[in-house]
Amino acid sequence: MTHEISRRTALSLGASSLAASAFAPAPSFAQRIAPPSSAPVSITYYNYNLASAGIGSEATKELIAEFTAPQPNIKVEGVPVSSGQILARVQADLVAGRTPDVAQLVFSDLDFVVRNLGVKPMTDIVPPEEWAAHTGGMVPAGLNLGALDGKVYGLAYVFSTPVLFYNATLFKQAGLDPDMPPATWAAVKEAALKLRAATAKNGVYPGVYSEFDWLLQGLFLSNGGRALSEDRRRVTFGESGAVGAIEMLRDLVKSGAHAKLAESESGDAFMSGNLGMILTTSVYQRAFLNAAKDKFELRAAKMPSFGDKPARPTNSGSALFILSKDPVKQRAAWELVKYMTSKRGYTVITSKIGYLPLRLDIVDDPQYLGAWTRENPMVRPNLEQLTRLNQWVAFPGSNYRQIARIQIAAVNEAVFGDGDIAKIMREAQERAQALMPRA
Amino acid sequence: MRIESRAAALRSHTLLTVLSLLSVLPLYWMLVTALRAPNEIFSTTPWPQNPSLDNFAYILGGVPILRMLWNTAIVATLTTIAQLITALLAAYAFARWKNKWSQALFALLTVTWLIPAQVVMVPGYLLVTRFDMLDTLAALVVPHAASAFAIIMLYQALRAFPDELIEAAVIDGAGHLRILRSLIVPNLKPALASLAILLFITSWNDYFWPLLVTRSQDSAVIQIGLQMFMTQEGNQWGPLMAAASVASLPLLALYVVLQKQIVDSFLRSGLK
Amino acid sequence: MTDAVRLPAPFARATAEAAAPVYRVPAWVAPALFLLPAFATLGLWIYWPLIEALRLSFYEWNLLPTAAPVYVGLDNYRNLLALAELRTAAWNTVVYTLGLLPLTVALPLLIALMTREAVGRAGAVYRAIIFVPMIIAPVVVAVVWRWLLNPDHGIVNKLLGGLGVPSLRFLQDPDTAIWTIIFITGWKLVGFSTLLFAAAMTNIDQSLVEAARIDGASESQIARRIVVPLVAPTGIFLTVLTVLHGAQWSFVYINVLTQGGPRHATTNLYYLLWEYGFGTFAIGWSTAAGMLLFAAFAVFAAIGLWAMRRTDRHAH
Repeated sequence: MTHEISRRTALSLGASSLAASAFAPAPSFAQRIAPPSSAPVSITYYNYNLASAGIGSEATKELIAEFTAPQPNIKVEGVPVSSGQILARVQADLVAGRTPDVAQLVFSDLDFVVRNLGVKPMTDIVPPEEWAAHTGGMVPAGLNLGALDGKVYGLAYVFSTPVLFYNATLFKQAGLDPDMPPATWAAVKEAALKLRAATAKNGVYPGVYSEFDWLLQGLFLSNGGRALSEDRRRVTFGESGAVGAIEMLRDLVKSGAHAKLAESESGDAFMSGNLGMILTTSVYQRAFLNAAKDKFELRAAKMPSFGDKPARPTNSGSALFILSKDPVKQRAAWELVKYMTSKRGYTVITSKIGYLPLRLDIVDDPQYLGAWTRENPMVRPNLEQLTRLNQWVAFPGSNYRQIARIQIAAVNEAVFGDGDIAKIMREAQERAQALMPRA
Repeated sequence: MRIESRAAALRSHTLLTVLSLLSVLPLYWMLVTALRAPNEIFSTTPWPQNPSLDNFAYILGGVPILRMLWNTAIVATLTTIAQLITALLAAYAFARWKNKWSQALFALLTVTWLIPAQVVMVPGYLLVTRFDMLDTLAALVVPHAASAFAIIMLYQALRAFPDELIEAAVIDGAGHLRILRSLIVPNLKPALASLAILLFITSWNDYFWPLLVTRSQDSAVIQIGLQMFMTQEGNQWGPLMAAASVASLPLLALYVVLQKQIVDSFLRSGLK
Repeated sequence: MTDAVRLPAPFARATAEAAAPVYRVPAWVAPALFLLPAFATLGLWIYWPLIEALRLSFYEWNLLPTAAPVYVGLDNYRNLLALAELRTAAWNTVVYTLGLLPLTVALPLLIALMTREAVGRAGAVYRAIIFVPMIIAPVVVAVVWRWLLNPDHGIVNKLLGGLGVPSLRFLQDPDTAIWTIIFITGWKLVGFSTLLFAAAMTNIDQSLVEAARIDGASESQIARRIVVPLVAPTGIFLTVLTVLHGAQWSFVYINVLTQGGPRHATTNLYYLLWEYGFGTFAIGWSTAAGMLLFAAFAVFAAIGLWAMRRTDRHAH
């Protein structure tokens, strides 16, 4: 072992005295991937579903196995990293000269990924006819999720929309009509209060307090606000639309309609039947169904709106990026990306893990999701939202994570504290603006 | 008087019993949970009703836990040996040669105690990648091959060593290495042993650094294996407790054998 | 410690000739060679990264070899110091430190005093048992307590439930979370501290205690007037240790159990800086955060050294 290390050390020291010069700069011209070939090639696939024990990991492994079985020349090494750490890991491995070939990266990192990791637009490296053939049946709004400045850098992969899950059994106990789920936040508040008074259970938990701010952005949008201006130059979560949305949340808390729970507890509370409604990702559907079996009736509704303004759901999730610079590996990577986002891929992803299919033509196709959709009508509100999906916007610049942290810290303070909401959010916005790129 | 002392003894026993229970019951519960059958995880009986190794089987199937234990043992052993050797040499130098330079160096040494690990972590990571040591056991040993703590501890032990004996050896013509090997090491055995125990336990329990420089499961240490069962929701209690047990049992076994020496070495370092 | 020093036989017979230097080596060479392995390692893996961290804390850089570091002056420090949670974190750091002192100093002293009476051979057994938490890895301690304190299925809440106490959300409730973390941090140390005091007490000259007893002093008087003053150095040592390291000891538990939440209730300076600095490999943020940590630590250390020196002066 020592020998091995000293040899490698000597090599790396010989190649460069500075880390910075150890890597040749990426060629600036657009380089196309190699044509298909049967030469043996091995690629790495950084994936966060693999990191969670259970269905997410099993379904992903299944798809990888299906992909490699008919073409044994391609070897895929799955690298499991949790969603919160996957970008730092990709970055750390790039620093170490271990370029991941395919990586599943969260949409909120999109700007950073494009500007820092040297990712080329997929349309630049994939031959146009192949691109058109593969993306033909995809929902345009979905395809747009991995786009920045009009170019698709990452192919949207696993994603979901916000769903209001509710406990119909509790609804009935409280004298509420489970066939008429609340469609506006005012109705949510009223139902939550009634439910709480009648059953002594918690009312509603809007899951907008996570570090991943997709649902929060959807809430802002629904009230005419934004987290970031459309030209991507100004932080705007301190402006009136966003502030109005937060005032609604504060009102939920003050009135007692809002469950007093930590984000990490909310799912468990809903599953144990102690929470009436929860607004969260559709991915939980399967876990909720399992937990509800024989205990209570689970139902799902669309994201509530602010009065007459239409709700504007955002997406959570991730896209697949090809990071490899080697044309042969790029080809294998593209084949893998194609398989993961194929009709078969989305059949497994939707039916087993619970994400949305990017291809609506498979939903009623008996060859793919047809039977499953019939058995799981609950996916319908989610599918309906898919066509009017709004992009989960990534903050720009190298301080984007810190900006997101400032945002979520301020939202917590504003919703659960007693201070002046507008002031808290405006001050946070100013601090965040100072971290935006100057140019 | 007698009654009073008997009452005092009773009070002592009661207090110490409570403290003892508080110290080991959490760990007992960890083991009990690990040994429960998966469908009895939430049971509250004081011992598993149908003891089962299912949780252990599950973690053995999920990650190469034995390999990780082996890696941990290797890393902790090599780190301990390296730290002892570098510390012995340096402490000898500090004890034998005293001038303003050695004083300055010694001050520099004590400063390392004040540097929180977080500060040097990222530059340290860059070094690991530059030497192409990422994902090797060497990355866990080489950066920790010297410990300021070990040097200071041994320096204190050496200071108490009679100078005349060393002088006598020098007059007899013994070289420095010979003095170290034949005179100092045999006589410092208790101090070296207790220091070795401390260094071994510290290395075994290290968590953040391995988290940063380990990639594959095959070169991971046991604390990282534990991390693989720590999902955010933490719902897999059985496997998690089994993994925690596996991570702790080797040290606990060592403790049962070397109990007196281990406690002594900690107390001695605490009493400086 | 008091073993007679054994002199190996060969020394007596060694001839001067055997080791006589043939040529003269400068006097500094030997010490330098002995110090080299240790200082080369520390230099490469501690001092150099420290200097590098200081340098990089003035830059913005994503670590990637394809991008050049951009000099930003004091911006990274300014950004960190402008964080809204900084005040909460600083206050929590004080709470952690002060909250730990009863568990690492006061309680152990009390237990050691109250169990001073001979407990016979059982003493060794107690000693062995209450020391156990000290050798358990902090990560293991964290996950075990997470299980014990789980609101729905944890044994602690089940036992409390048996007493009619409603389930407590130890780590999820902003009012109790920080105290829970302090308790867990203290749990690992209370046995160690107690043993340290007990060891110091056995070193006390028993004739002093006997003399006082014959003079008619009560047990509590003996404790207060004789024992406590004589173990004061141990108490000061533990206090300094707690002040220096207390907030750091809690770091692993915060990281594994609460990630600073709920609503920053458990974050402290170390964790806050870690959170902003290491969420991504934003080298400027993380090294600036690191240097601030270092500075905070140096202040703590200076206070600690000053306190130790004062008590040393008093003790002599």
